[in-house]
Amino acid sequence: MTLNVLVQALLNGFGLAMAYVLVALGLTLIFSILEIINFAHGEFYMFGAFVTYLAFTQVKAPFVLALLAAIVVVGLAGGVAERLVFRHLRGKTLNAFIVSLGLLWVMQAVAQIIFGIQDKSVPSAFSGVLRLGGVFISIERFAVIVCATLLIVALYAFLEWTRVGRAMRAAAQDADGAALQGVNIELISALGFALGCALAGASGALLAPVLSVSPWMGALPVVKAFIIIILGGMGSLPGAVLGGLILGVVEGVGTLFFSSAAVNMLGFLMVIAILVLRPRGLVGGA
Amino acid sequence: MTSVRSIACIMLVALFALAPVSSAAEKTLTIGLLGPLSGGAASYGVELLRGAEMKVDEINKAGGLKIGGDQYKLKLISYDHKAIAADAATAANKLVFQDKVKFIIGNAVGATCNAVQTVTEPQKVLFAFVCWGTKNLGPDKPYSFRSMLSQWEAAEPFYRWIKEKHPAIKRVAIISPNDTSGLDTNTAVVKAIKALGFELVAEETYERGTKDFYPLLTKMIAQKPDMIDVAAAPPGEAALLVKQARELGFKGAKGWTAGTNPFNLIEVAGKEAAEGIWSPVNINVKSDFVSPAVRKFGEEYEKRYKELPGVIAVANYAAFDVFTKSMVDAQSVEPEKVLTAITAKPHDTVWGKVVIGGKDTYGIDRQFLYPLVISEVRDGKVVDVAQTVPAALKK
Repeated sequence: MTLNVLVQALLNGFGLAMAYVLVALGLTLIFSILEIINFAHGEFYMFGAFVTYLAFTQVKAPFVLALLAAIVVVGLAGGVAERLVFRHLRGKTLNAFIVSLGLLWVMQAVAQIIFGIQDKSVPSAFSGVLRLGGVFISIERFAVIVCATLLIVALYAFLEWTRVGRAMRAAAQDADGAALQGVNIELISALGFALGCALAGASGALLAPVLSVSPWMGALPVVKAFIIIILGGMGSLPGAVLGGLILGVVEGVGTLFFSSAAVNMLGFLMVIAILVLRPRGLVGGA
Repeated sequence: MTSVRSIACIMLVALFALAPVSSAAEKTLTIGLLGPLSGGAASYGVELLRGAEMKVDEINKAGGLKIGGDQYKLKLISYDHKAIAADAATAANKLVFQDKVKFIIGNAVGATCNAVQTVTEPQKVLFAFVCWGTKNLGPDKPYSFRSMLSQWEAAEPFYRWIKEKHPAIKRVAIISPNDTSGLDTNTAVVKAIKALGFELVAEETYERGTKDFYPLLTKMIAQKPDMIDVAAAPPGEAALLVKQARELGFKGAKGWTAGTNPFNLIEVAGKEAAEGIWSPVNINVKSDFVSPAVRKFGEEYEKRYKELPGVIAVANYAAFDVFTKSMVDAQSVEPEKVLTAITAKPHDTVWGKVVIGGKDTYGIDRQFLYPLVISEVRDGKVVDVAQTVPAALKK
């Protein structure tokens, strides 16, 4: 195996891992605040991709506007879902599990009715390929890495340095304690859910031109997101980034040596090992 | 006013009086359909369903099937198995034991066919499918038919054509989903390319639903193939494979042995990435190569569903045609009698003449055989470049 192939494999793994980290961050944010595991989270990712598809094909919007539209529309949809459904299920893990599965099927079916069954293509905003020696990466994948990194940094800044962000962290650590300090838990829950969904929507929007768009596209990213947050630790932002990078490297380089089925298995083996040996994940809780 | 009421009453009485007479003369024949109507392989299932719907509507509009003095209207019941074998077995049980169907026309994805056959064969239910599993046909499965050419009919003539027309291609890499259809397709392609003297430099499989093929393609392209065959990949995944191969610098030839819908591939991959891909089993309903019947089917399909049909829709439309014509020939809806009629002679269908053969490959004549057309994508259009005949049909 040449060095080029190894570098290419690392780059492959890193490329999409950053977008999946966004999905994972949304999932872990929602879990932290509402104590709900949202199995329909992948469908918000799919929703973001379809918003981008419509923005590109119907409105001919530029990429940045399409991305912003996906973030806003999916965020609002998340807020509505929290207000109408998930607010009433806070802390009721089993009920929330069943409801989120139902929401998953509903969102898939609605997308199938509206957009049909064939995969859709979103025109690339960045055409061309970057070549560094024998290593290739499309400019649109490179743009995904840059945009996803910027969004992760923005999220970190929001949670660290804004009043609302600090309220979210407080609610995640101890909702009753935060409420006693004057934090409006209902508002923070809605904002947290909306922000979590918006992150999934952003990821879908970023990957729509790179991959393709279909009503069932949310299944794989949500599985990867679960692996990422279990590796990194539920509720941990740095943990999600670390988990995403580990998964990306394992998948990218592992494929060079093993079959794809074996590589898929590696991700789950890591999850089992972490849950047995270090249930809090590599970085730990909130 | 009173007279209006009286006329209305008389009409109502007449309607009730006539109703039993008309239902006695007209019977309903329920036919089952199974397929992945959701999930990553949904394009297969939906095409199956649409092909069936079009034939059923056509027959019912013409008054139904006249069999043994009765007029049968067709009713279609379909279930989604999501390309999952366990769901397919459950759906087959529902169709056979709950809905009491004796004919299941349409199913896709090899592993689900095996599951369905565990129900249909013991119950002697006639079953037509487009699955590409090798073991879906055999002497132990006399009630099962494949209504579309499979990898075993397509791979050898396809690669023979490549060898003759593109002799510079020596090194081939192939990739398919890691299920029965994909693995069996890889087996057939590997057998054909080795027999014809090509060098197999990579043979890969992936999980259906995969969208990022960079890791697998990096491994394949490192072997420097002259051609990559995205063998049994469905259209959306085949499109991503050729698009991402191009991004990774691959400039060689591209094949799609089991390609089913090149229009969707072009839409997703873009015309630059799709350029030059060959496929031996898909159908271009707008081509001059195809019969007027296929062109007419394509026009009606596009008008009804706002999309162009792929080969699976045409195959299931033809399968319905063969089965229902055989019911009329047999003047029976008993599966045993219909089976005898199906295998008794070739059938005129939307494909042209279809021969039921395949004994040399499967040990039993249950494979629909018809000429295959090799197509190439040129500047975003599907262009038919050659017509060839499967070895089994030559015999």
